[in-house]
Amino acid sequence: MKKLSLLVLLAFNLFVLDLAQAVPGDTIKYLPVQDGGRIKPYDSFSREMLEIIYGKTKFEGRRATEIVLTWMLAPQSWQGKNIFEVRNHQVLKGLNLSTDQRYFSGQTLFSNDRFTMLLQELQAKRETKEKLDPYFQALQRLENQFFIFQEIAAGRMLKVVPPVEGDAWVAVANLEPKHRDAFMEVTRAFVSHISAVAEGRSTDDTGNALDAAVKSFEDKARESNPALYNLDSRIKAEVHYNSFHPFRWAYIFYFLGFITLLLIWALSKERLMTAAWVFIGLGFALNTYGFCLRMYVMERAPVSNMYETVVWVAWGTVLFAAILEKIYKFRVILLAGTLVGAFGLVIADFAPAVLDPSLQPLEPVLRSNYWLTIHVMTITISYAAFFLAFGLGDIGLYYFLRGEQKHQEKIRAIVMGIYRSIQIGVAFLAPGIILGGIWADYSWGRFWGWDPKETWALIALLGYLAVLHARYAGMIKNFGMVVTSIVAFSLVIMAWYGVNFVLGAGLHSYGFGAGGVEYVAAFVLLHILFAIYVGVVRSGRKKG
Amino acid sequence: MSSKETNSNSENNNSKAQSAKNKQSGFNWRRFNKPLASLKLAVFIIISLAVITAVGTIVEAKYDAYAAKNLVYNTWFMYLIMGLLVVNLLAVMADRWPWKRRHASFVLAHVGIIVLLAGSWITGSYGLDGSMRVGIGESNGLVQVPETDVVVYTSFDGDRYSKTFEKEVNFFRNPPSKEKPYRIPTYQGEMQIVEYQKYVLPNKKVISGESGKSGSGLRFQLQNANVNVVEWLVQKKVGALATHDFGPARVHLGPAPERGRGLNEIFLTPNGDSVRYVVFQKDRETPQKSGVVKEGDSFDPGFRMAIQLRVLRYLPSAVEDWDLQQMAGPTPLTTSAAKVIFNGKESWVLLNDMTKFFTDNSVYLLTYGNRRIDLGFKIQLKDFEVNRYQGTMRAMAYESRVEVPDIGEKLISMNEPLKYRGLTIYQASFQEEDGRPTASVFSVNQDPGRFLKYLGSLIISLGIILLMWFKHLDFKLAKKSLKKDEAV
Repeated sequence: MKKLSLLVLLAFNLFVLDLAQAVPGDTIKYLPVQDGGRIKPYDSFSREMLEIIYGKTKFEGRRATEIVLTWMLAPQSWQGKNIFEVRNHQVLKGLNLSTDQRYFSGQTLFSNDRFTMLLQELQAKRETKEKLDPYFQALQRLENQFFIFQEIAAGRMLKVVPPVEGDAWVAVANLEPKHRDAFMEVTRAFVSHISAVAEGRSTDDTGNALDAAVKSFEDKARESNPALYNLDSRIKAEVHYNSFHPFRWAYIFYFLGFITLLLIWALSKERLMTAAWVFIGLGFALNTYGFCLRMYVMERAPVSNMYETVVWVAWGTVLFAAILEKIYKFRVILLAGTLVGAFGLVIADFAPAVLDPSLQPLEPVLRSNYWLTIHVMTITISYAAFFLAFGLGDIGLYYFLRGEQKHQEKIRAIVMGIYRSIQIGVAFLAPGIILGGIWADYSWGRFWGWDPKETWALIALLGYLAVLHARYAGMIKNFGMVVTSIVAFSLVIMAWYGVNFVLGAGLHSYGFGAGGVEYVAAFVLLHILFAIYVGVVRSGRKKG
Repeated sequence: MSSKETNSNSENNNSKAQSAKNKQSGFNWRRFNKPLASLKLAVFIIISLAVITAVGTIVEAKYDAYAAKNLVYNTWFMYLIMGLLVVNLLAVMADRWPWKRRHASFVLAHVGIIVLLAGSWITGSYGLDGSMRVGIGESNGLVQVPETDVVVYTSFDGDRYSKTFEKEVNFFRNPPSKEKPYRIPTYQGEMQIVEYQKYVLPNKKVISGESGKSGSGLRFQLQNANVNVVEWLVQKKVGALATHDFGPARVHLGPAPERGRGLNEIFLTPNGDSVRYVVFQKDRETPQKSGVVKEGDSFDPGFRMAIQLRVLRYLPSAVEDWDLQQMAGPTPLTTSAAKVIFNGKESWVLLNDMTKFFTDNSVYLLTYGNRRIDLGFKIQLKDFEVNRYQGTMRAMAYESRVEVPDIGEKLISMNEPLKYRGLTIYQASFQEEDGRPTASVFSVNQDPGRFLKYLGSLIISLGIILLMWFKHLDFKLAKKSLKKDEAV
């Protein structure tokens, strides 16, 4: 018990440390910037910009906040640096560049004669109004990288002073003299601070000087329009969200919970169960906390893009696993829940190009409508239950491979868990689809329009209904349940990911993206192959 | 373990009691009902529905929603499987009669599905789902629906037309061909639609027509150091006026008036093989300049800004036609087109467009396009407003201020429709030019099946919630009866 309280204390410390940290030179992170239709801290702005150009939020170990401002202060020093990420081979061939390299300098890319040609090609494609395929999407990104670097270098992108009238903020290049002078102070302090950082000198003085300069600039900017500059708490929450990574901590704790459960299973140490619950509880609390932070910063429920739904589904999986575990005490359900929850959050953390974690404003149809939130949350929480069934199915296959006679008890528990999870899933998915219909009726006047997103949710529902009915009819037994829980989940993957990333059609186009198709397809295929393999082994055994 | 056994025992007794009851009644309808109520049939139906709709989404991704509806969702096999589903649901409920308390969720979920499907059927058969575009400051009373019609108007004097043919067609599903043309009877022979293209990119072209019957066509170029425009002007009929408005000046093809109208205007009047031109200036009533030009000639209209007008091409009699580029799939720029043959002459007609045919004594005008339904009142768009996300062009919300008879001015915005005379009018989208909105697009809707759909949804949801309470359903019963079937 002592160890446990120590652990809780440690986790709490982590959290408080982050909130209370006041490293000199960090005030600039909190500088409000208008970008992408909202006000965000310079911290988020610089991370997003570096992400677009370089594909990562750090460059050679230096933070985005240090990098992005230097593009504006000394663009010429960046000319030869390989900072632009180009991944599409066809684009690289079009530019006559080596496909082995991934990062290029602005000079090689944009002074290239073929760059203009490619842009013209893109423009011609746009005029046909056809869908852009991956090649043109890559070209579009290249154009965007070029544009953003240019605009930041010219000081037109960084909008830091609220307007006296209207809502378009003033960029650094167009500042009034008094603001410009104050901003000059900031840049001067910034340069001496980062050179101190680079040389490894003590940064207390330079950091404090920078903080003071930023503070005085903020005071001057606030005078311009105090009503538009009153955003302290949200900005603070966002910077905290950026640096704290609540979801990363959540999956670490889920994973620790998973390991503990494995230990309990391997060493039969029942006493460790409390520790497992604490880990899972902490992970769940952090998952919830991150979710609430996003909600607070964006003033909406964060379920409007792939990244946000993945986080939400991970949360739901752990919740359902914990509830079922409390009822049935099977252990294996919790094992599957933590595994799947951690997996979901890890995917969300490691694939920012596919699952865009940045905070984006909503499309018009999605605004000010709680039906949207309700129907998306209901449908995606059902995916959580199906995800849990899927995780259980994986473990079930493992036991079938080990020998079903030996592990009969376990298999029965797993199938029970799968059955209950599918029931929970269906109980959320069917009303969720209906709620979607009500929302569509309310906003567009049509209850059901065969939109691919809603149709695929229906197909997933039909798939699981077929499983349940086949089970009633005795058409599938324990092994059948294990296999179908895995196979039917590919329908959920299609509804959840495939419609937006593979089909790319329909009214739900605001969630569309690209990338990762090969990985997801491999994931689905490997699982199906595994199921087939176990099936073959099993029938071989039966004959033998 | 033990609780499970007792459970299955009680189920066992139940089914025995039921089969005993069956034997008592003289005519055993249950025996005939059994195959229709089978769970295997249910699984088959569910999987078929899933597969068919999955194909539908792929068709939609490759083409568009219209193609998916025509090729998958509104087809006989979809209706057949839906019909089978209803039969299966009814049969399985009849099979479990008399219902017990534990049947509540099962009955509710299945009744709910039937009610929901009934509601959808009513919507599909009797509902209205169309769209209406209203320009800012304009009014409109016609709703465009997806159904397409072919309409032929006939005129004997070239002025007054009367409708002589009107029929609904679905060329997408039943495309006409040379072998199986779509026939339209007229007073003089027969018009035939012999080809249909689903996705074409149209480019306007002008070709020479029959002299005396069609108007003239002229392609001109206006050019100086700053301006260079090339435009076609084609008269709709002989003696009509075709106009191109440049803003500060207008160019007309057709008869010139005697006096100026207070505008900078150039009139080009066909006169045999040549063209007479007359130029008026804003501040003078008498012509500023006049003369005769031929194809290839140019003149200076004599405006304050020096400019040259060159006649690039002149066709004494000309008709507009389309150059069609066939596409593999739809884009926002493609449309569909049908080829019409009449008296040996052929012409393409685009969707929502028309084409003309001349005979010795009459003119035929054929239109092909979406049906427009007259609402019986007009919606006037007084104002339209777009709110954008701060500092961007990204739309955040938009709303239309409209005026309708009886109730006056109303606001329609996203998620806030207007209900009027049994119709619901939704804000669907808007059109803009150069960053400024020009028109609002509404979705106009009447849904007599709405009540049933909501009722069905409610019943299904209740059933599913109850399902969580009544855990066991009667699947064990079903299992037993299945075994019995196999034994028989």
